[in-house]
Amino acid sequence: MQRALVGCVLAGLLTGLLGVFVVKMKISSMGYCMSHGAFAGAALGVAMAVDPLTTALVFSSITALFIGPIADKARLHADVITSIVFPLNMALAFVFLTLSPEVGLKTDVANVLWGSVLSITYPDAVYLTSICATTLALIFLFWKEFFAIMFDRKLAEADGISTKPFVYFIIFLTGFVVTLSLKLVGGLLIFALLFNPASTTLQFSHNMKRIVFLSPIVGAVTCVSGLFVSLFLDLPVGSCIVLVSTFVFALAVLLSPKRRRR
Amino acid sequence: MRGNTISQSSNTNLEAEWSQMLFEGATQMHDVIRLENVYTTYEGEKRPAIRNMNLTVNSNEFIYVVGPNAAGKTTLLETINGLLPPSRGKVYVFGQDVRKNGRKVRCQIGYVPQDFIVDPGEPYTALDVVLMGMYGKIGILRKPDRRDLNKVTRIMKLLGVDELANRPMGKLSGGQQQKMMIARALAKEPKLLLLDEPFSNLDIDSRQRIPSFIERLHEENGMTIIIVTHNISEISKRCERIVAMDNGEKITDEKLMERPFLLKELYQILGMEVSSRYGLS
Repeated sequence: MQRALVGCVLAGLLTGLLGVFVVKMKISSMGYCMSHGAFAGAALGVAMAVDPLTTALVFSSITALFIGPIADKARLHADVITSIVFPLNMALAFVFLTLSPEVGLKTDVANVLWGSVLSITYPDAVYLTSICATTLALIFLFWKEFFAIMFDRKLAEADGISTKPFVYFIIFLTGFVVTLSLKLVGGLLIFALLFNPASTTLQFSHNMKRIVFLSPIVGAVTCVSGLFVSLFLDLPVGSCIVLVSTFVFALAVLLSPKRRRR
Repeated sequence: MRGNTISQSSNTNLEAEWSQMLFEGATQMHDVIRLENVYTTYEGEKRPAIRNMNLTVNSNEFIYVVGPNAAGKTTLLETINGLLPPSRGKVYVFGQDVRKNGRKVRCQIGYVPQDFIVDPGEPYTALDVVLMGMYGKIGILRKPDRRDLNKVTRIMKLLGVDELANRPMGKLSGGQQQKMMIARALAKEPKLLLLDEPFSNLDIDSRQRIPSFIERLHEENGMTIIIVTHNISEISKRCERIVAMDNGEKITDEKLMERPFLLKELYQILGMEVSSRYGLS
């Protein structure tokens, strides 16, 4: 239970933080691709009877490596690329899961699909902590570049900032974080963790620094609340986390001062 | 009217400081821009947006690029600053190939895009947006310091928008946002200023004051300026040279001194907007 709590807090913090960058850089569709790339990788791991986390990391890294440059280079809109990669990853995931001899029964399969926060191990928590620390350090160091790119990538480029490395870094990091958070809510619901806290916080503030500070807190609080709701009602943890975070987002939209008439 | 006017008397000292502050190297330079047989084609398009473009701009020139909508004016500016890579030909700015040294070149170019309007919900203050203009020049790993902040505040004061600094950018009017974008372009103390329809959203008062402020930048600091417009009546009387474009091609490139009736001819050829200011309508 202790590890589950630590996992919830860390994954909530990380996905909440990263979600702001994904939403504001307008690469949400790539976030979907990454989350499902990790899901497909984990499914492959289950089918091959190797550690799903390793294969998920490999798969999401490959997706991250290709999707950014393809979106930049191909004579197609980024949405077209992601609309193709997203169902491709889902299709691969289901093919891999079908290849697993005990599909539907095997615990690993269920974990990949729906998540199993109670199966978070000590190394998982260590990975999440180190990614959390690295992410915070890099965001602190390159804050002004990220800030300008989140405002407008083309203008940032016009001002002499090389935007590609920063955008690719966020895509790559999204793959990593999504993979490590897979045990929390599973491959089908993981992107809700990425977008709901960021979208919630964006309803309340006109200050980007405050949003970047608050979104991880919202992420962690909703994850922990979801965990307790699931324990209390005896429902799947992942679903409860997503339900809680969606409820919080809906409340935020209703109460948002940005939507009040002046 | 808060923040909408430029108080000329109170800004005299500021302008002197601005003159001192700017562009020591700018007046030494020649051949600021050189385009050689440039074609630029947008992704997915077959037809180039600009074709066979040859253009040389020397330092201290004040040029207007005119032409009807879809003439290729914006594409020309974005090709010059390297945001759009040319599909054929060479683009040199400050003697450097923009394709190879785009980032370095762009640190010295102030650019105001056309119709850039920020959504009201966006979490950026006007000061944030203006300060961002310096980020490329400041360089990686260095944070903006008090000197940078003072510089930005001074520019905003010159444009009469300093009182709006802490308001959300998206909550400002179109004209106020446009002034902020001009301040942003000037924040990096550029040697070359590229302005794409920069006066389109300004109120009547600002339509006189902001262009004359830009003229002073050119005269007192020797800044090379290219302004794109589809409205001939916006052309400053201090403009030295006109490049007219239509259908992606340069149709005229002349000094106004040598062709005093050029604007009238362009009006007749291109059917562009014009006001009685030039006695053409």
